[in-house]
Amino acid sequence: MSGALAAAAAPRRPSQARAALLRGQGLVGLVLVGIVVLAGLLAPVLAPYGPNEQLADGNLLESTAGHLLGTDEVSRDVLSRLLYGIRVDLLVIFIAVPIGAAIGSLVGLLASTWGFADVIAQRTFDLILAFPALILAITLATIMGPGVVTVSVVIIAAEIPIFGRLVRTSVLSVRELPYVEASTVVGASRWWVLRRHVLPNSLESLTVQLAVSMSVAVFVEGAMSFLGIGVRPPTPSLGTLINDGMRNIYVAKVQVVGPLVAVVMLVLGFLLISQSLGKARRG
Amino acid sequence: MAERLLEIRDLAIDFAHPRPAVNGIDLDLDRGEIVALVGESGSGKSMTARAILGLLPEGARARGSIRLEGQEVLGLPETELDRLRGERVAMVFQEPQTALNPVRTVGWQIREALRAHRKVSRREARARAIELLARVEIPEPEVRVGYYPHQLSGGQKQRVVLALALANDPVLLLADEPTTALDVTVQAEILELLRGLRDETGAGILLVTHNMGVVAAVADRVVVLKTGDVVETAATGALFAAPAHAYTRQLLSAVPRLPEPGDPVRLVEPVATVGEPTLRYEDASVVYPGRHGQAAFAAVDSVTLALAPAEVLGLVGESGSGKTTLGRVAAGLVPLSTGSVWIEGEDLAAIGRARLREIRRDLAFVPQDPAASLDPRMTVAESIAEPLDIHSVGDRAARRARVAELLEAVRLAAEHGSRLPHELSGGQRQRVALARALALRPRLVIADEPTSALDVSVQAEVLALFAELQRELGFACLFISHDLAVIYEVADRVAVMRRGSVVESGPIEQVFANPTHPYSRALIAAVPEPVPSSPAGAGLGEMAS
Amino acid sequence: MVRYLIRRLPSALAVLALASVLIFLLIRLVPGDPATTLAGPGAPPQALAELRSELGLEGSLPSQYLSWVGSVVTLDFGRSFVIGGDIGTLIAEGLGNTLVLAGAALAIALVLSLLAGLAAVILDSRWLNAVLAAFSTAGLALPTFVTGPVLILVLAVLLPVFPAGGTPPGGPFEEPGATLEFLILPAICLGLPVAAALSRFLTESLRTQMRQPYVMTARALGIPRRRIVVTQVLRNALPAAMTALGIQVGYLLGGAVLVETIFAWPGLGQLIAKAIGGRDYPLVQVLLLLSVVVFVAIQLATDLIHAYLDPRVRLGGRSG
Repeated sequence: MSGALAAAAAPRRPSQARAALLRGQGLVGLVLVGIVVLAGLLAPVLAPYGPNEQLADGNLLESTAGHLLGTDEVSRDVLSRLLYGIRVDLLVIFIAVPIGAAIGSLVGLLASTWGFADVIAQRTFDLILAFPALILAITLATIMGPGVVTVSVVIIAAEIPIFGRLVRTSVLSVRELPYVEASTVVGASRWWVLRRHVLPNSLESLTVQLAVSMSVAVFVEGAMSFLGIGVRPPTPSLGTLINDGMRNIYVAKVQVVGPLVAVVMLVLGFLLISQSLGKARRG
Repeated sequence: MAERLLEIRDLAIDFAHPRPAVNGIDLDLDRGEIVALVGESGSGKSMTARAILGLLPEGARARGSIRLEGQEVLGLPETELDRLRGERVAMVFQEPQTALNPVRTVGWQIREALRAHRKVSRREARARAIELLARVEIPEPEVRVGYYPHQLSGGQKQRVVLALALANDPVLLLADEPTTALDVTVQAEILELLRGLRDETGAGILLVTHNMGVVAAVADRVVVLKTGDVVETAATGALFAAPAHAYTRQLLSAVPRLPEPGDPVRLVEPVATVGEPTLRYEDASVVYPGRHGQAAFAAVDSVTLALAPAEVLGLVGESGSGKTTLGRVAAGLVPLSTGSVWIEGEDLAAIGRARLREIRRDLAFVPQDPAASLDPRMTVAESIAEPLDIHSVGDRAARRARVAELLEAVRLAAEHGSRLPHELSGGQRQRVALARALALRPRLVIADEPTSALDVSVQAEVLALFAELQRELGFACLFISHDLAVIYEVADRVAVMRRGSVVESGPIEQVFANPTHPYSRALIAAVPEPVPSSPAGAGLGEMAS
Repeated sequence: MVRYLIRRLPSALAVLALASVLIFLLIRLVPGDPATTLAGPGAPPQALAELRSELGLEGSLPSQYLSWVGSVVTLDFGRSFVIGGDIGTLIAEGLGNTLVLAGAALAIALVLSLLAGLAAVILDSRWLNAVLAAFSTAGLALPTFVTGPVLILVLAVLLPVFPAGGTPPGGPFEEPGATLEFLILPAICLGLPVAAALSRFLTESLRTQMRQPYVMTARALGIPRRRIVVTQVLRNALPAAMTALGIQVGYLLGGAVLVETIFAWPGLGQLIAKAIGGRDYPLVQVLLLLSVVVFVAIQLATDLIHAYLDPRVRLGGRSG
C-alpha cells in the first residue's frame, strides 16, 4: 500500500462534532434556532399583550408603534400571537421529535437483536413509510381530529421508522467490524457490544438525523395547521398564523411576514446544524 | 532510436503532507526493458508512476523533468496529456475488483479506450476487443466481450485491465502493483503474461511493487526507493547477489522465504501430543444455502483437523479456500452446518451459553485490517484492557498493571497507552491488537492474516514478536494466511486448503519440502522467490500442474 | 429480473393490504356516528338507516371491509355527500389537473437537478459548488407554505406578472398557452424542494462515483473527463438516483395538497382539502387509498428500474 493512498485505509479519527458546531454554518444554525427558541420561551416577558386578547385598537391594522406586526381580523396583537405561537412549535419540536426518536431507536434496537422482532418491525416501518408524510397526517387527523396532540402523534409516527431503520442499520454494520468481532470472541455479550461500541459510534448519525427531523417537524406542524388539521384556533401556532396571514394578504401584508420568518429561521437553522454535524462526521 | 524511452530527472512531488512524497529522483528505462520500482509504503513509488501520466491527486505539485522518447511530458496541458495517455503510455492499477466500470460491458470499455484516440466503427472495435482479450489469454473472448465485470474472476478482471492498457499499442506500460491483490497462482500467470507482452511488442515496462519475489521473477533492473529518495539502482542479479545500500540489505533480509533445497532443515521441537488437542474439527462443514435459485455453497467442506496445545497450525490457501471461514468457526463467530468443533475437549455446539462464555476467556482473535482492528474511539490502553473489563478481572490497579505489562511485551512504549488508533502506524496497531489478544492469557489464538496489510519490514518485526511471544507463553495458534513464506516462518504444522477442503496437512518442513498433493505443489511453485536464478524468468513454475 | 419482481411484489401487496385496513378503519374510528355526522343532528331515523347502509356500515367489520375493497377495486366509489356528485367523476376530473401539475413540477426538478449535478462535477469550480449548495439548502429549508405565499406576494400581488391562482376558464387542457401562465407559479412552488433534494443527492452521488477507481482507469486511457462523466459516471449514479426519485414522489403527493390549496388549482389535492374540511369521510378514504397505492406502486417501479439499470442485480452473480 503506497503512502498517501494508504491514508484511505487508516482508521477514522473520532469526529470533532462540538468544534464543528461552533464554526461556520453550524454556528449560524445555532444562532437562528436560538433566537427563535428564546423568543418563544420569553413570550410572557416579551409579548405586549396576551395571545388571545382582543383589543380596542381596531382590526387589521398595519404595523404601528403599539402593534409592531399589526392586528388580525379580531383585533388581536399579531406580535404577541407570534411569540406564543412559537411555544406550540417548540413543544412539538423538543418533545414530540425526541419521543419519536426514542421509540424508533428502541424498536430498531430490538429488531437488530431478535429475528422475529425484526420481521414485525420492518413491516411496521414499511406500513408507515407507505404514507407520504402529509397523507399520513391527513389520515391520523381524520381519526383523531385536529389539535396539538394530533400533530405530535403524526410526528412521532413519522419518526419511528426513520430512527428505527437508522439504529438497526447502525447496529448491524458495527457488529461486523473486526474490533467488535475481537471483543465477541473474548466473551463480550451483545449488551456489552451495544454499550461499548455501537452506541458511541452511532451517536453522531443519530444526532444528525435528530436535527433533520426537528427541521421537518416545523414543516409538518406548519403544513397541518395551514390545512386546518393541525393546531385548533384560537390557539396560535406558526402554521395557523401563516394561514391567517394568507387570508388577509391583500389587506394587511405585514401579518404573514412574522411567522414566515420564524418558520424559515427554525427550518433553516436545524438544517444548517445537521449539515455541519454531517460534515464533521465525514471527517 | 536515439532517445531513451523514458528519462526522469530530478523529479520532486510535493503535497500538503508534511514530507515531500518524492525528493528529486532520476530514473531511466529503455525499450524492451522491465524496470522494477521498489519500496515500502510512503516511498513515493506510486506517485512517480502517476506523475508520468499527469495523474497526481489534488493538491500535488511536481517539478523536474520527465521525458518520453525525448518529449517533455511534465507540465503538459490536459488535452495533450489525454492524447498520450492510453496511447503511448498506459497504466495498470492494483485493484482489479474496482478498476473496471461495473455497469458497462467489457467490450464497451475497450471500445471507449480505442475511441479516445481514433475513429473506429462498432464492428472494428468489437473485432479488436476480441483480439485483445485473446492476447491476454481470456478463454472464449467472443463471449466474454459482452460480459459485465462482476461476471469475471479477479484474475480475468486484471487481464481485461491489461487488455485496455494494450488497446492502442503503447510503448511504455506502467504497472502499479498489478498482482498484489491477486492469488499467488494467478499472480504467476499475470507476470508470465507481462513478460510475454514485453517480448512480443518490445514495450518498456515500469513495474511498481513492494514484493521482492516479483522483482526477482520478471525485472531486468531494479530501482529502490525509500521515503522519496533513490537509494540504489542495479541490474536484478547484481542487486540480489550483492546489495550495496543498507536499506536494500534490510529489505531483502526482511522478506520471508520458502525453504530452498539446499537449506538446513529447521529444527522444530516436537510438540506434546499427549492429552486433548486444544482445537479439533471433526467433519466440519459450513454450507450457505443457495439464494434465488443458485446452488448451495460450501465454504468449508468436511474438514477434520486437530491442533495440539502450544502448537502453531498454519492455514494456507488462496481466496475462496475457506481458510478464513474455518478460523472463524473456531472463534465461535460462524456456526457449523454439519460436523463439530471441539475446544479443549468441549463441543461448542453442545455447551450452554454460560459455559461458552467461560471458554471464551481462553480464546483470542487477531483481525487483519489495521484500520478496523481497534475501536477508533478507544485509547490503546482501553482497547487492551477490554477483555479484562469484560470478565471483570481484578481491580482497577491490577488491570492498569496488566496493560502496562502487555504494552511492554509487545515492545510499545508506555505512553502509547493514551494514544488513539489513528495516531499509530499499521504495525503499531497490530501490536496493540496482539496485546489485547494476550490480555487474558489465552490458550488458543486465532490470527486471521494479521500481517498481510503491513509493509515487508514491519511484517518481519511483528512476525518475530509473535513467534517469540508464542514460544514464551505457549498458546496454541491457528494462523491464517495466503502467504506461504509467512506460514513457513511461524507455523509448526500446515494445512493447505482449496475450495473448502484440506488437501494436505502435516509438519511444515515435510509439506514444504515434499508436497504430495498437486495443488500444494502448484501453490508452492507459484510463489516468486526473491532469488533470481536466470535473467529471463526465475523461480516460477517449473511445475506444470 | 422477473425473480426480483416476484420477490418484491408480496411485501408491497402486504403493505397495501395493511394500509387499506388502516384507512378502512378511519370512518369507524372517528368519534361519533358517521351517519349522524354527515346527515346532521336532526335527521329522521329512516334517512339515517339508508345512509348507514350506503356508507357500508352494516354487517360485521370484516364483511364491511371486504365489500369496501370490492367496491374500490371495481371503481365503484359511491357518492360524495358534502361536495356532491359521483366520487369517481370527481376523481377523474381532479386527476388530470394534478397530473399536469405534478408532471410539470417533476420536470422542473429533474432538469434543475441534472444541470446542477453535472455542472458541479464537470466544471468542478469551488465558487459554483458553494452557490449550488446554498441554493439547495434554501430550497430544502423553505417549506411550500412559505414559498407559495411569497411567490404570490411578489409575482402576483406586488408585481402582477402571473395570476395568483386557479386555472384558465374552460379547464387547463383547453388552451395550453394560457394554462402555462397559471401553471408556472404552482409548479415552481411544488418542484423547488424536490429539485433541491434531488440535486443534492445527485451531486453527492456523482462526486462519490468520481472517486471510484474505474474513473482513474478511464482517465489513464486518455478518455476526456467530460465524456467520462456523461457516459460512465452518470450511468453508475443512475440506479440509486432512481430510488431517491421514488421517495421524492411521495413528497410531490403530499405537497400537491398544500400547493393546490394555496394556488386554488382544481386537482386531487384541493379535493382532499375540501373533503377534510367538509368531513366527507368516504371521499377522504378513497383519496387516501389512492395516494398510498400510487406511492407504493411508484416506489416499486423505481426499485425495479434501479434493479434493471444495475447489471449486477439484473444478471445475478458470477458465471465466468
